[in-house]
Amino acid sequence: MNVSQTITSKKVTIGFPKALMYFQHGTLWEAFFKALGCTVVISRDTNKTILDLGVRHCNNETCLPVKVFHGHVLSLKDIVDFIFIPRYISLEKNAFSCPQFCGLPDSTQLNLKGNIKIIEIKIDLRNGMVKTQEDLKKLSQILSIPYETVKKTYSDIIGTTPVDNIQPRIKSITKHKNVAPTLIAVLGHPYMIYDSYLSMNLINKLSALGIIVVTAADIDTDTKHKNAEPFNNRTFWSMGFDTLGSAYTYISQPTLNGIIYLTPFACGIDSIVTEFIERRLRNKSTIHYLKLTMDEHTGEAGFNTRLEAFLDMVQVN
Amino acid sequence: MKITFPHMGNTYIGVKVLLDSIGIEYVIPPLCNKKALENGIKHSPEFICLPFKTMLGDFIYGLENGAEVIMNGASCRQCRQGYYGDLFQEILRSIGYEHKYININLHEMSFDNFYDNLRPYAKNLSKFKIIKAMILAALTVLSVDKLFEAANHIRCKGTKIGSVDEEIKRFRDKVHKAKGYIKISKLISSTRKKIKLIAKNNKHKKSLKVVIIGEIFIASEPFTNLEIERRLGNLGVDVYNTMSVGMWVREHFIHNLIPFKRKNKVTEAAQTLIHTDDIGGHGVDTVGMAILYSQKGYDGIIHVYPFTCMPEIIAQSAFSTIQEKYGVPIMTLILDELTGEIGYQTRLEAFVDMMEMRKQMKSSNPIYAKDSG
Repeated sequence: MNVSQTITSKKVTIGFPKALMYFQHGTLWEAFFKALGCTVVISRDTNKTILDLGVRHCNNETCLPVKVFHGHVLSLKDIVDFIFIPRYISLEKNAFSCPQFCGLPDSTQLNLKGNIKIIEIKIDLRNGMVKTQEDLKKLSQILSIPYETVKKTYSDIIGTTPVDNIQPRIKSITKHKNVAPTLIAVLGHPYMIYDSYLSMNLINKLSALGIIVVTAADIDTDTKHKNAEPFNNRTFWSMGFDTLGSAYTYISQPTLNGIIYLTPFACGIDSIVTEFIERRLRNKSTIHYLKLTMDEHTGEAGFNTRLEAFLDMVQVN
Repeated sequence: MKITFPHMGNTYIGVKVLLDSIGIEYVIPPLCNKKALENGIKHSPEFICLPFKTMLGDFIYGLENGAEVIMNGASCRQCRQGYYGDLFQEILRSIGYEHKYININLHEMSFDNFYDNLRPYAKNLSKFKIIKAMILAALTVLSVDKLFEAANHIRCKGTKIGSVDEEIKRFRDKVHKAKGYIKISKLISSTRKKIKLIAKNNKHKKSLKVVIIGEIFIASEPFTNLEIERRLGNLGVDVYNTMSVGMWVREHFIHNLIPFKRKNKVTEAAQTLIHTDDIGGHGVDTVGMAILYSQKGYDGIIHVYPFTCMPEIIAQSAFSTIQEKYGVPIMTLILDELTGEIGYQTRLEAFVDMMEMRKQMKSSNPIYAKDSG
C-alpha cells in the first residue's frame, strides 16, 4: 500500500469510485468501512468530464469501463484521504476475475503517476483468506484500530467474499407468461448496464416504453453456474459464469422476446462470452438479439436508432 | 489417426521430435501465412486475439489434409488463451469438421498429462517412451532457441543483407522433411555453424542492442510480428528475443520437475510496481523484463502484443514510470490482421534512428548518460 504515515485519532475519509465493482459490491464495502468509523464519499454518476479525465490518463487500448474508473478516482483524490480499490483475483471457487481487476490498484497508481493514496484489499480464494488478512492488518494500522476488530467486522459484513448486492427487478420471470408487455433481457457487465452514462440510460429507456427488463440479477447464482456450458464445472471468469449462465437460462425462456447485450469495445471477456451466446441463439432459438458496442466515441443518436429498429422488430413479431 | 497442431514460432520442431519419437503420424500445416489467417478470421469472433485466428486457420488446414485429431495447449487462468480450446471445438464442429481433441496443460506440463493424452493415438506407448520423447523434444526446443538466438545476433554483423535468412530458409525447408531427434538435431547444429561463419570477420562489430518483450505468441511467431527480428537485424540491430519457446519450456516444464521453489528474478522485479504474482498471460513478466533489461545495457526495448491482449495492456501502464527511472526507451507495437507493413517498418526505422542519436549524444556529452536506479 502507498502510505507513508498512519493516521491516528482522526476520522479517515475513504473515496469510492462509482465504477467497476461499485455496482455489484458497493453497498457491502460501504457498510464495512462505515462500521470501522470511516466516512465514505462516493463519486458522482459518470458524466462526460469524468470520462474525458479517464481517457486522458490511460493508454488507448484500455477498455472503456477502466478508463471511466480512472476518471472517478481523479474526481475524488483531492477530497478524500484514501481511495478504496479492491484487488479481485479469485472471488469464488474455480473462477478468476478479468485481468484488469487483478492489476487494478497498480495500473491506477501507475497511470496516475503515483499521486493517489490507495487502500487495497486483495481477495484471492485460491489462497483462502491469507492475502485478505494481510491487507486487513495494514488497514488496521492505517485506521489505528485493533486488527481483531477489523477482522471481525470484515467477517460479519463481507464474510469470505463479497456477494452481489444488485436487487432483482422482478420476482419471477415465469409470472409474465402470456402477458402483453414485452420482456427483454439486458446483459453485459454490471458496470456497463447499470451505469446510466455508459449504457446511455438503456434500462430506463426500455422501462419508459412499458417493456419489462430483466438482467443477470434476476436469476440465482446456482442456476447461472449450472447453465454456463461448457464451463459449468470448470474454471472460468466470475463475470463469464454470470453472463453466459444468464444468457443460456433466458434463451430457454419461451416468454422472452429479446436479448440486448451491451459490451465495451474490444472487451476480452465478452469476445468469448458473446461468441458462445450468439452461436447458441443462431442454432437453437428465435429470440431477437442486439449487440451494442460502446466506446468513448459512440453517439447517442446512432445508439437510439439501433435500439428503435430492434424494438420495432421485437414488437412486430 | 493423424494429429495436427497449430504453429507458434518454432514449437513445431519440438512437437515433430515428440511425435516422431512416439511414432504418431501428424499433419503439419504450412508455416503461418495469409491464407491460413484468412480462413481463421472468417470463422473467429471479431475481437478475439490474433493467435486464435492463426491457430484456427492451422487447424482447418490440418483437418482438411488428413488429420482427425487436433492438439491444443491451454492454461486456464485469467487470460483468454485457456478458453480457446472450447471455442475451437465449437467452431470447427459448426463448420463441419468432426474431430477428436487433445488438450495439453501448458501451465503445468507433466509426463502424465502427455501420456494420458497421447496414449490413445500411439501403438504400445509406455511411460518410459513418453518420458524419453518429452526430454528429446525439450532438448530440441532449447537447441532451436540457441540457433535463432545466434541468428538474431549475427544478422546485423554479416556483410551481405539476407545471408542469415537464406540459411534459416534452407533450415526450415530441410527440417520440415526431416524426421526424428538425431536428424533434426544434426541439422540444427550444422545450420548454427554456418550462421556463425557469416560473422566470422565481423564478430566485434558494435551494433545497437534491442530486447523484445511482450506476449509470447506474437513475440515468437514471425508471421504475426511481421518478421520483426529480421527487420531489426537488417537495420543493423543486435536483437535478443526474451519470449522464446525455450523460456516457456524452462519455466513450465523443467522447473516443475525441480522439487523446490526457486526465486524468479523477473517476478521479483515486476513486484516493485505490480503487487501481485499474476495478471494473466505474461503481463507480470513483461513488467519484470522491462525493469531488468533496462539495466542490462540495451539501447532500446520493443514491446509487442496482439490487439486487445488484456494482461499486456495492464503491463503497458508501467512503462512510463520505468522509462523515467532507467532512461531506456520502450516502444510498444500492437499487432492485428490489419497492421500495415509500411507503417510498421517506418516505426522501426524511426526507433532505430532515435536510439542511434541518443547513443551519439551520450558518447559526445557525458551529461546525457543517465544513471540507472
